[in-house]
Amino acid sequence: MARNSVGRELPGQIAGYGPVLPFNGHKARIPEGNCAGGRLKAAFNDRTDKTVKDIREAIKASGLKSGMTVSFHHHLRNGDYVVNQVIDACAEMGIRDLTIFPTALFGVHKALIPHIKSGVIRRIMGSVNGPIGQLASEGGLEVPVVLRSHGGRPRAVISGDVRIDVAFIAAPSADRYGNLSGRIGRSACGSLGYAVTDADYANCVVAVTDNLLSFPMTPVSINQTKVDFVVAVDSIGDPAGIVSGTTQVTRDPMRLLIARHAAALIESSPYFKEGVSFQTGAGGISLAVAAYVRETMKARGVKGSFGLGGITSFFVDMLNEGLFERLMDVQSFDLVAVKSIAENPNHVEISADWYANPWNAGAVVNMLDAVVLGATEVDRNFNANVNTEADGALLHGIGGHQDTAAGAKLTIITTPLLRGRIPCVVDDVYTVTTPGEVVDAIVTEFGVAINPLRQDLIDAAKEAGNVPLVAIDELVERAHRMSGPMEPVATKDRIIGVVEWRDGTVIDVVRQLDK
Amino acid sequence: MKTAQAGTLESMDCVVSLTEGGAGNGMTVTLAGASAARFGKAMETRVRETLKKLGAVDVTASVQDNGALDVVLEARVEAAWRRLTGGGAA
Repeated sequence: MARNSVGRELPGQIAGYGPVLPFNGHKARIPEGNCAGGRLKAAFNDRTDKTVKDIREAIKASGLKSGMTVSFHHHLRNGDYVVNQVIDACAEMGIRDLTIFPTALFGVHKALIPHIKSGVIRRIMGSVNGPIGQLASEGGLEVPVVLRSHGGRPRAVISGDVRIDVAFIAAPSADRYGNLSGRIGRSACGSLGYAVTDADYANCVVAVTDNLLSFPMTPVSINQTKVDFVVAVDSIGDPAGIVSGTTQVTRDPMRLLIARHAAALIESSPYFKEGVSFQTGAGGISLAVAAYVRETMKARGVKGSFGLGGITSFFVDMLNEGLFERLMDVQSFDLVAVKSIAENPNHVEISADWYANPWNAGAVVNMLDAVVLGATEVDRNFNANVNTEADGALLHGIGGHQDTAAGAKLTIITTPLLRGRIPCVVDDVYTVTTPGEVVDAIVTEFGVAINPLRQDLIDAAKEAGNVPLVAIDELVERAHRMSGPMEPVATKDRIIGVVEWRDGTVIDVVRQLDK
Repeated sequence: MKTAQAGTLESMDCVVSLTEGGAGNGMTVTLAGASAARFGKAMETRVRETLKKLGAVDVTASVQDNGALDVVLEARVEAAWRRLTGGGAA
């Protein structure tokens, strides 16, 4: 057993995962050597059409066999049909023991559960939301789920930690020679950022589309030099599940209060000036923070340089109002964002590698001034948990949480003090996703706790005079008084989830629920 | 058999249902919902103590919780009890 730098006891080896490198600080691990790479290929003028007749044909042509690793991306979110279609076909063809390597799974993917139970899927490396997370938490997978951030995932591919045999790319538009785009088509999803590194490094790339166009299609997100086969299907997804309508700012007064405190903190910081850059999630509080900051930007005549991340209509409006010069978009959340990335050259598609990978010559997160994040819980040491719920179930992915927290100059986590009776500011989080060393402030309806490591921010907030500062210990104690003591989560020893820091070291593990 | 209910399923509330039990059957408490996994024992104790204070002996209590704090839980138990026994406008 070794203890990592956030105090977690870790075994030297985890069955089904391999040797454990303990997390030892957010910038501690520096890589050596060269990038890994996919297989060399050759193509000549005797094959000018890459289409094959159906998914089974593509699977056969790709050489996919039992025991291999297949990757997927989640831009179609809860509307995705591709993952289920591909795995159904693998099952019919007798392929088993697959490692699936999705960027994320959603509720719609509960259709995979029979394939997990029957042994078609042996392992999942990727975030498991909802029913599959519950299954994993109760011990329903033979080997642990491996969780990586949006930057940690391309790092794992580029460094060779994960080798993709076949990447299946859901492409809202594709031409017959394998140029792909998410901008147009009835299943348009905007950015294809998460799929880019998979296309670069997989041994074989299969594009699945419901909008097959003649060559050459432009503009291109992933180009023909990466794509081996193209399959046209009736539908790659349900547009209603792919993009939401207009994303709404919360109207809950408590959440608005939290947002107002977070906005005041940002505006008090030295980063709120000409050229400020900003990322928020698409959650209610995050959007409300953006709404308040937007008003202040207008009032004080501050113009920002870029907005980053999963992009919502809210950021598109700010771009169109001139409050940002650019949007850097790895995932387009709503219809307005999809339309904007298709039409506005200042709304730029970026890959997950470009967005967040710590092991390249510079990701965009490093250029970020402020990020507003959420968490299921945070603790006295400013550690944040975004993976597990109060009952100990592994139900959420890391997303860009670790990457933006590590990259941004000002990392803010907003959370109500309690959700129901469950305290969200606690002594020690159940699972550490993001270490306190990269979290600068925790904002609740009962005040703003700034990490003592950031005396500069504390001084700036005091000078501004409208940031209600409170000590983290006081928040912990107040939450405890309101909720009463929590009983511990009952678990078995078996590890069902490994949470990697973005550099591939292990920051925490999740154990099987004792039910 | 008489039953009575109080509460809602709004966040941070709960629905308490009480059923009059036969003499000598004692008190039964069942819990379900948001906080039961981490606060089950504290919630059960609070329900039992509140009922005892109100003079309940033979009663079945079922709590569907959506994150109620103890003060809310106690108030809902009391309201359901008063409805069950007709002992006051609750």
